[in-house]
Amino acid sequence: MAGSGELSGKAAIVTGATRGIGRAVAVSLAAAGAAVLLTGRTPGDGEAAAAAIRALGGRARFLAADQGSDADWTRTMEEVQDAFGRLDILVANAGISKPAAIAGLALEDFRALNRINLKGCFLGVKHAAAALRRHGEGGSIVLMSSIVGKVGVAGHAHYAAAKGGVRLLAKAAALELGPEKIRVNSLHPGMIRTAMTAAYDERLLAPSIPLGRFGTPDEIAAAALFLASPRSRFMTGAELVVDGGWIAQ
Amino acid sequence: MTRRFDDRTVIVTGATKGIGRATAILLAAEGARVIATGRDAAGGAETVAAAEAAGGVCHFAPHDIAREDDWARIVDLAERRFGGLFGLVNNAGLFFVKPLDETTEDDFDRIYRTNVEGTFLGVRAAFAAIARTGLPGAVVNVSSLMGQVGFAGASAYCATKGAIAGFTKAAALEGARMTPQVRVNSLHPGVIWTPMITSQFGDSQDLADAFAADTPLRMIGLPEYMADAIAYLLSDEAAYVTGAELTVDGGRGAD
Repeated sequence: MAGSGELSGKAAIVTGATRGIGRAVAVSLAAAGAAVLLTGRTPGDGEAAAAAIRALGGRARFLAADQGSDADWTRTMEEVQDAFGRLDILVANAGISKPAAIAGLALEDFRALNRINLKGCFLGVKHAAAALRRHGEGGSIVLMSSIVGKVGVAGHAHYAAAKGGVRLLAKAAALELGPEKIRVNSLHPGMIRTAMTAAYDERLLAPSIPLGRFGTPDEIAAAALFLASPRSRFMTGAELVVDGGWIAQ
Repeated sequence: MTRRFDDRTVIVTGATKGIGRATAILLAAEGARVIATGRDAAGGAETVAAAEAAGGVCHFAPHDIAREDDWARIVDLAERRFGGLFGLVNNAGLFFVKPLDETTEDDFDRIYRTNVEGTFLGVRAAFAAIARTGLPGAVVNVSSLMGQVGFAGASAYCATKGAIAGFTKAAALEGARMTPQVRVNSLHPGVIWTPMITSQFGDSQDLADAFAADTPLRMIGLPEYMADAIAYLLSDEAAYVTGAELTVDGGRGAD
């Protein structure tokens, strides 16, 4: 794969990598030289994404895993160790969205979303920190939050709770893991062209976005690569907002 | 990294030392034609020499960013010497530590004129120059962690850096309405080992160690780290980033 090579010799896990932003992140880390373990819950898409990276000369493998499952994180860590012998980077990207007004939001739905979006990130940090500690060279953890982790959006209370939680989870983890050179930052995409936002009409919403368009998965991948790479080596507990200026208003 | 700034003209203020120098060198090494500005010609010459040693193109010009006529001259120089302007790194700034009750109006005026008016004049001049190219552009304003959180003894500095953060968001919204668009973001460095810090607090290894011990990543910030962050914000990698604050502080501001 043509790329900078800035991550050569590094191994990464990207969750929710079967499509959308996660898939673009996996491609971009692999293009920069990292060996990437893609995880997700849709094996067909995940195997295809890993195969596409390999076809371009990158190192990639897929494992079916649920970000909200502790047991799956244990399997994920075993897999990355078996496949690549180490871990340097985690991009915890998996997440779900299911708009609902609070009045009609069932506890099971609230819990199901937070299980993946919030608890999944906590489990990811915990397992990844243990793996990074094993070689003692530090590493980078990127947690996918959202602009909805910084501003409220009606009809997304459970999503906002989870993403706001992820934002502060990153800061607490950064303070705790900083002395071990394990960096933890949160990434905050705005409206990005993915399956998750397919229900939103870009032509209707574009005028309310300063840059006048949705972002692309590649633009989030470039931000994730910056946070994963040594170019951000003095950055931890920080937030990177990639939203076309939406929340600057 | 590959060369992200081939044939792009960028003005970097305060490029005679510290973060500005490191940024000028990195951008030049990645293909930019850099106008490095500042008030110290000897420091400027060192920056140019280092940028050229890195294989880049860099020209020094004396510049007081608080002077409106200076900005007209700098932009004119950039356009005549290198062609249309792509970007601006508004990095120059003053810093002093003094308790609030000892900070005089003159002290405040001086730091305000440089940090706030200097940034305003720079963005205004850059917007006009970038518009003349008919191409998109980007601006990075260097604020500070002290533009996001308070620091006892630096009230005037915090006021100016907070102003830069707010101004940056408004400028981002106006830049987004231009055709083609100009992105504007702010960088918020923590404690970076530069003459700005050492001139106020001292230059000893003990002090550097103390700053490192007080930083979650247990390291001292270096100008090169800021240059990497500025280059990200300025480059097409950040094409969907505008009006954002990028904090690069070793985790100091996370608590």
